[in-house]
Amino acid sequence: MRLLRFLPLLFAVVLASCHEVKEYDATPRQTFEQLWTILDEHYCFFREKGVDWEEVHSRYAPMVADRMTSRELFDVMARMLDELRDGHTNLSASFCTSYYRRWWADYPENFDWRLVQENYLNFNYISSAGIDYAVLTSNIGYIRYSSFSSPVGEGNLDAALSYLAPCDGLIIDVRSNSGGSMTYVETIARRFITDRTLAYSICHKTGPEHDAFSDPYPVYFNPAPEGRVMWDKPVVVLCNRGTFSAGNIFVSVMKSLPGVTVAGATTGGGSGMPFNSELTCGWGVRFSASPLYDADGRLTEFGVEPTEGCAVDLDPEAALAGRDTMIDFAVGLLGGNPQP
Amino acid sequence: MLRKLLITLCLSAALCCVAAGVERPVNSSWGLALGSAHTIDTYLTPLRYSGWGAELTYRRAQAMKFNPERWSQNVDFGLAFDSMENPARNASMYYAGFDASYAMLWRTSLPWGVTAGIGPHLRGDIGVIYLARNGNNPASVKASVTAGARGYLQRRFTLGRMPVTLRWQSELPVTGAFFSPQYDELYYEIYLGNHSGLAHAAWWGNFFRWDNQVTADLHFSPNALRVGFCQTLLSTKVNNITSRQWGFAFILGVTNDWLTVTPGRAPSAENRKIIFAY
Repeated sequence: MRLLRFLPLLFAVVLASCHEVKEYDATPRQTFEQLWTILDEHYCFFREKGVDWEEVHSRYAPMVADRMTSRELFDVMARMLDELRDGHTNLSASFCTSYYRRWWADYPENFDWRLVQENYLNFNYISSAGIDYAVLTSNIGYIRYSSFSSPVGEGNLDAALSYLAPCDGLIIDVRSNSGGSMTYVETIARRFITDRTLAYSICHKTGPEHDAFSDPYPVYFNPAPEGRVMWDKPVVVLCNRGTFSAGNIFVSVMKSLPGVTVAGATTGGGSGMPFNSELTCGWGVRFSASPLYDADGRLTEFGVEPTEGCAVDLDPEAALAGRDTMIDFAVGLLGGNPQP
Repeated sequence: MLRKLLITLCLSAALCCVAAGVERPVNSSWGLALGSAHTIDTYLTPLRYSGWGAELTYRRAQAMKFNPERWSQNVDFGLAFDSMENPARNASMYYAGFDASYAMLWRTSLPWGVTAGIGPHLRGDIGVIYLARNGNNPASVKASVTAGARGYLQRRFTLGRMPVTLRWQSELPVTGAFFSPQYDELYYEIYLGNHSGLAHAAWWGNFFRWDNQVTADLHFSPNALRVGFCQTLLSTKVNNITSRQWGFAFILGVTNDWLTVTPGRAPSAENRKIIFAY
């Protein structure tokens, strides 16, 4: 019976050892607070974007009432997320997914794939595993990679670079490439390096405080394995505002390499690796949680600028005449005749 | 302290290996636990997921060579799978894991025919929680190596003409080491080579596991049908990540008592007498 005296102590230990997690119900007010708290504890760019999240709460919380509909609540919460001006931040319900579109909507499109196919490729190009490639008339190689979600393998790159090997230079067109897998950033970039190269650095939040971050961890790329086809001639990477996320990182990595010029318009950013979470009502939320920095330690969340003197837009009037002024500019940089 | 415990366990295991050729009573069992499963893992989601869980177990208890009347060694293996849903029931979470443990139990007799056993145990767990709706953070790996105590109370009686063994067993890790990513650290970053801050010393403040089971073995000759109930709890908090997995399950299994014998040598009458129900 003496053992029974220890039972309360045992239960106290058990209760103390079950670590608490704050739980919310699915009412509009609780849903709003839950979303605000998730972002408060996990979002990584408050300081860089100058967002006072407490102030945002004070403006939006009064708009929430327990008798509002799901769609009304969704609209209020989506607008609150828009305050972060982040293309990686979305709220998802069964009836809608919110996007902050102004990161690209306020900028020129600067890309028309039909224009390129019709006037530069004559609809005669090779497509393989997400990459399209051809030789332009001035003996400049052209590779179009539209999404880093499209798997591209070493064999695909070997085939493309072998085919383009006689060319005097290479254009890699990642305009309107909105990202995908970081794996393919390395797969492609390491065809253009000869030594172990610092590509970028990554860090993560270490706690819910807004300034709790780990030290940046440097990430190095090694050249492609021996026997793979490498490229050592001049390269121009073409980008626009729609070049985002993994596309943005690709441009920042390539920009740091010798012999590579970045031309076009400032990319769309998206350098925060996104995390997912969810709300009790079943809605999902995605947000930037893990910042990436370029090889010089600069944050590229606001985009990567073209190499100095290489900013160029697509001229709409020239486009009507069948010319892509961005490709013409790139061809000129590579010593070719832009308008043969 | 931990070093002494490990040395003792290693020496004991070595003794067991030396004694492998000698007959000793063995109780082995296969069991299936089926019941409820619940998980909160704030690395993946702040929500509580609930559903069903199943675990296939193999347990082997054997009298030890150096003092078979008092000591037994226990080796357990488990293969677990949980399937759960969030409160809105629009997302699924799965857990798959494997555990193995070794324990040495000292047995004594208490009043009213109760037998009690207690001793140290080592346990290793590895598993993964997978949340299908997440993109860059879809999984949370669970891995731990712990040392702690295991104890049991057991009483034999007859139900009609059938012998029954009623047993309560409890297991409580005290210390060890476990894995956890950092707060918002992607597994991609770990894959890239950043391995700092992943291994953690376990103590009750950051790692608390408590497993209990109550079983009744209904004996038919050397075999027995095992029915029972078990409860599991694992709660961790490290790197500002809280994770809790718990569940309740019914157990159904079969057990078998037998002797290990040395070829060409008959089992001794003394060892036949050792009734060492695990």
